Amino acid sequence: MKKYIIRRLILMIPLVFGVTTLTFALIHLIPGDPVELMMSNARQLTQEEIERIRDKLGLNDPLPLQYVRYLTNLLQGDMGISVRSRSPVSYEIMQRLPDTIILAVSSIVLALVLALPIGILSALKRGTWIDTLAMTFALFGVSIPAFWFGIMLMLIFGLYLDWLPTVGQGKTPIEFTRSLILPSVTLSLVLLGLVTRVARSSMLEVLSLDYVRTARAKGIGARRVNFRHALPNALIPILTIVSGQFATLLGGAVVIEKVFGWPGIGRLAVDAIFARDYLIVTNTVLVFATMVILVNLATDILYTYIDPRIRFQ
Amino acid sequence: MAENVVGLAADAEIVEQVKPKSFSYIAFHQFIRTGRSILGVSVLLVLVLAAVFAERIAPYDPYKTNYSNVKQPPSAEHFIGTDELGRDSFSRLIYGARISLVIGFLVSSISTTIGVILGAAAGYFGGAVDMIIMRIVDVMMAFPLLVLAIALVAVFGPSQDNMMLALICLIWIWPARLVRGMILSLRETEFIVGAKAVGATETTIIFRHILPNVFPIVVVQASFLVTEAILAAATLSYLGLGAQPPKAEWGSMLSNAKELMRILPVMSIAPGVAIMVTVLANNFIGDALRDALDPTLRQ
Repeated sequence: MKKYIIRRLILMIPLVFGVTTLTFALIHLIPGDPVELMMSNARQLTQEEIERIRDKLGLNDPLPLQYVRYLTNLLQGDMGISVRSRSPVSYEIMQRLPDTIILAVSSIVLALVLALPIGILSALKRGTWIDTLAMTFALFGVSIPAFWFGIMLMLIFGLYLDWLPTVGQGKTPIEFTRSLILPSVTLSLVLLGLVTRVARSSMLEVLSLDYVRTARAKGIGARRVNFRHALPNALIPILTIVSGQFATLLGGAVVIEKVFGWPGIGRLAVDAIFARDYLIVTNTVLVFATMVILVNLATDILYTYIDPRIRFQ
Repeated sequence: MAENVVGLAADAEIVEQVKPKSFSYIAFHQFIRTGRSILGVSVLLVLVLAAVFAERIAPYDPYKTNYSNVKQPPSAEHFIGTDELGRDSFSRLIYGARISLVIGFLVSSISTTIGVILGAAAGYFGGAVDMIIMRIVDVMMAFPLLVLAIALVAVFGPSQDNMMLALICLIWIWPARLVRGMILSLRETEFIVGAKAVGATETTIIFRHILPNVFPIVVVQASFLVTEAILAAATLSYLGLGAQPPKAEWGSMLSNAKELMRILPVMSIAPGVAIMVTVLANNFIGDALRDALDPTLRQ
């Protein structure tokens, strides 16, 4: 078990190396001289002054050296200074990261609460109108653009019914929860259709296995067979899907945050592009990738607890 | 050999009965078996026609402003009203079909071509080529597509062409992974080993045995990538990182409609419905194509 986790961690090293290389490349590919961007508010600098600042910042050093320095700084939590706010990029991101995580987690929970019962019911009632209805629901789930679904919810529950706030984030706990509802319902749509389909197909597959037939043959009640014998095994592929779709979910969060004015790091990144605050953009990208890698790692480790077969591979 | 043929011909009736149906025959019948595929094809056909003949169909010029006729509600002259510059929303919606379909098909076909070439190279050559290509794919998989697309748009600058370029840079990894995996698993199958055993050359194996098996699955995936590209393009344009105003692009129209949500909700509804209908039609076709072309799924 320990061995498996250690091997899994070692496998991450090239991935982390690749991800940081990519963000490093992005920093250098983005047009515009960093010095000029940084000094954009100050007076016009002479060529010599610019060169001096470049030297001081190490921008004239060879790229490998710059890369090593970039990594060292990252490890110390130094991501540079935001051009717009003049505060450290790491501070800006840490300020908003919790809001993105709350949004992502709440929508995963919501998607599971809705999609699991629908998918499982649809498998148990295979071929009936319930099944057809559930699969139509899933089809619309994967075909509706999430940000537009958000706009529609805003229109119905915000403007017409006036039940919920449409923009921003509430300060008090109750207001906060109320302002979280629409964004997280919207974001849950990203997972909803897929999880419903997977829940159905994985339940159908488990129900066709020999051990389920044996359980039935022994005379165990349908309810007990379905929920105690079949369901736990059917849940494993769903874990794979949720973990595999985590990246897509975070991508959706970027847009949903922008639609609802939710102050997470996705909105931070989009706004930063228009302000030409590129260090914010590249570092947000890096933080997103880190979250994806960590979630996938956590899922892999979780597997070894849930499914003992993996431990012996 | 000749005797065998004559012998079989004598039993013409039996030969007639067991004559295997061709792959395309089975595939076609499988495809049109469901009503959904017919519906999907019909809807897509309507959209393609609207896109091609937009000039003829659209009642007004989608870019012509008319300040004496702004923010009109839906009426007989303007089916879904006019926007804040007096442009006819319905005409803009029709032109939007052209933009979305072009983006969807172009991005999907180019990324698929690149992905197939790189994936086939990785699976076929193995070794260092495989390692480099697959490490790149692994690293890119760690990023949310939209997030990396946003960063690439920051590199290229926000415009419709640059957005398409960014999407192509990101989407090729899926066909690459698919093709590499298929080639690796096909190489181990008995019929390839058999072909090798009877002395088939490498070229024969690739072009006669491997590619015909890979091709249908790639087509199925490409049809889903069209959907993926249309959705991503609309989302990026909504964020202001894709098609720029005044372009009549659905995502960009939705972002424009936000300020008028209270007085003209139809402007927020219509482009989204258009995207949804396009995506649904594509998904119907994609599902039907999968049932038709993937023999492993056939009952």
